[in-house]
Amino acid sequence: MRIQINQLTKTYKGDVHALKGIDLDVPTGMYGLLGSNGAGKTTLMRILAGLLRPTSGTVRLGGDDVTTKEGRLAVQRTLGYLPQDLGVYPDLTARQFLDYIALLKGLDERSVRRRRIGELLEVVALGEHADRRLKGYSGGMLRRVGIAQALLNDPRLLIVDEPTTGLDPEERIRFRTLLSHLAGERTVLLSTHIVEDVAQTCRHLAVLAKGRLVFQGDVGSLVARANRRVWTVVTSGAAPSTGRIVAALPHGSGMRYRVVAPVPPDPMAQPAEPTLEDGYLALMEAAVPA
Amino acid sequence: MIATLRYEFLMQIRRPIMWIVYGLAFAVLVAAMWPGYRTLDLGSGGGHDPKPAMLASAKLTMSLLAIVYGCLLADRLIRDRRLGVAAILDASPSNPGGRLVGKYLGVCGATAVPIALVFFGRAVVYTFTEGKAETLAWALAVFATVILPALIFLGALALAGPLLIPPLVFRVLFVAYWFWGNLIPADMMPTLSHTIFAATGDYVEYGLFDRARPDGVVYGWPDAALNFLRPAATPAVAVLWMGVMVALAAAILLLTRLHAARSES
Repeated sequence: MRIQINQLTKTYKGDVHALKGIDLDVPTGMYGLLGSNGAGKTTLMRILAGLLRPTSGTVRLGGDDVTTKEGRLAVQRTLGYLPQDLGVYPDLTARQFLDYIALLKGLDERSVRRRRIGELLEVVALGEHADRRLKGYSGGMLRRVGIAQALLNDPRLLIVDEPTTGLDPEERIRFRTLLSHLAGERTVLLSTHIVEDVAQTCRHLAVLAKGRLVFQGDVGSLVARANRRVWTVVTSGAAPSTGRIVAALPHGSGMRYRVVAPVPPDPMAQPAEPTLEDGYLALMEAAVPA
Repeated sequence: MIATLRYEFLMQIRRPIMWIVYGLAFAVLVAAMWPGYRTLDLGSGGGHDPKPAMLASAKLTMSLLAIVYGCLLADRLIRDRRLGVAAILDASPSNPGGRLVGKYLGVCGATAVPIALVFFGRAVVYTFTEGKAETLAWALAVFATVILPALIFLGALALAGPLLIPPLVFRVLFVAYWFWGNLIPADMMPTLSHTIFAATGDYVEYGLFDRARPDGVVYGWPDAALNFLRPAATPAVAVLWMGVMVALAAAILLLTRLHAARSES
């Protein structure tokens, strides 16, 4: 499902501009949406999920305009949404919770619903725990329930908002792998402020900063933003004062710094191969000067 | 709507706190009325006549358990947002109005179960001890016309109120409202007691079931304020009272839906 966003703005009460004229084209497959906290990612996700109405602009998802009531309903029939602050009913079991959401998504036939829930519980590796009440689940298990509920209607568009926040490393890797497997023929929009999540799962991405779209393209293009801007400095003296330090490791009696800066931050600085995180930081330095 | 009704009913009926609070309130009720609670008419002067006995039973049951009912409902509507489930529900293609009605029916239905158990429990006991099968029939009639309309209105009020004020504050205000607007005598102070807007079912008792006041005076409080809200208790006014309760509930739910639709944007 292709997503076409034109001149999208969202202004909250109190003249808070969350989105400022966003133009974005999202193809089928896994797509990353990067940005710091408060960049407008969640607002954009909520508009795409039909939970918020934009102030102006158009959003078309596979031909349906989500800004109209009919379009929103059509999109929600083919949408899977995992919100940032996922909540569940603690007194229901995972199976009951999924059954309830499945009914709301229109899976009326009992046998179909049961089979689908059973399949998804296996996909997210919760089959053994399906009949336990959700109040006993860990954060990672709840996230997996969240992804299972999002997949109930076999959505063509899957929106996941900050899905790995708060998960331990093992659970984060498991979740990322699961999302990659799910991409296939559907569009998976992964919104996050964790660059590593995008680096490991997406080939295309967009970057938001303070409500504006500051980048859209492939991962390689964003990495290239940091070409000739990443440096390694080994010193026993003070830390480099120019550029942004992205890593600092003890090195012998001194420190080894990794710095993103437009010019060598130290006479002894050595150029280094950029990563996606470096590209993101270089972009943000240029887009939102400190 | 059916899915929401089903699961909201299930979640509410499973709440241990609901059974504990109702249990304590019931114990207080029985202790306060002891030993009269053991008699069919609860000392209402109805003797062995099941009709006034069931009316007295309804009044007694509602006097305290309606407070529990309202307080237990007070966080049910806002908890979807508090738990973080609202976004998932709202992103589904289900009708938000249908979900609201389903939640209302499910959660109110479950919360009314203990009230029904207390009320019908008495009726069943006395059906056998008095050997009068009509006790159960009167119980059904009284429940449907006196208790149910009140629960319909109070349920909508208790669900929607905490959208405007915190649940704890609402609960305090609800208890105050219950005493001020329903239980105190009409001539004590300006009050909604015994008016067409009171949720105690007086109009059905006096207008439909021909109950006489213990002092022998017909329905009315000559020295009370707001008497324009206290028409004579006739069968038509009794039916009107039931309609008022249902209409108020519908209006509250409609306003709740409009409030939610506004906050969506």
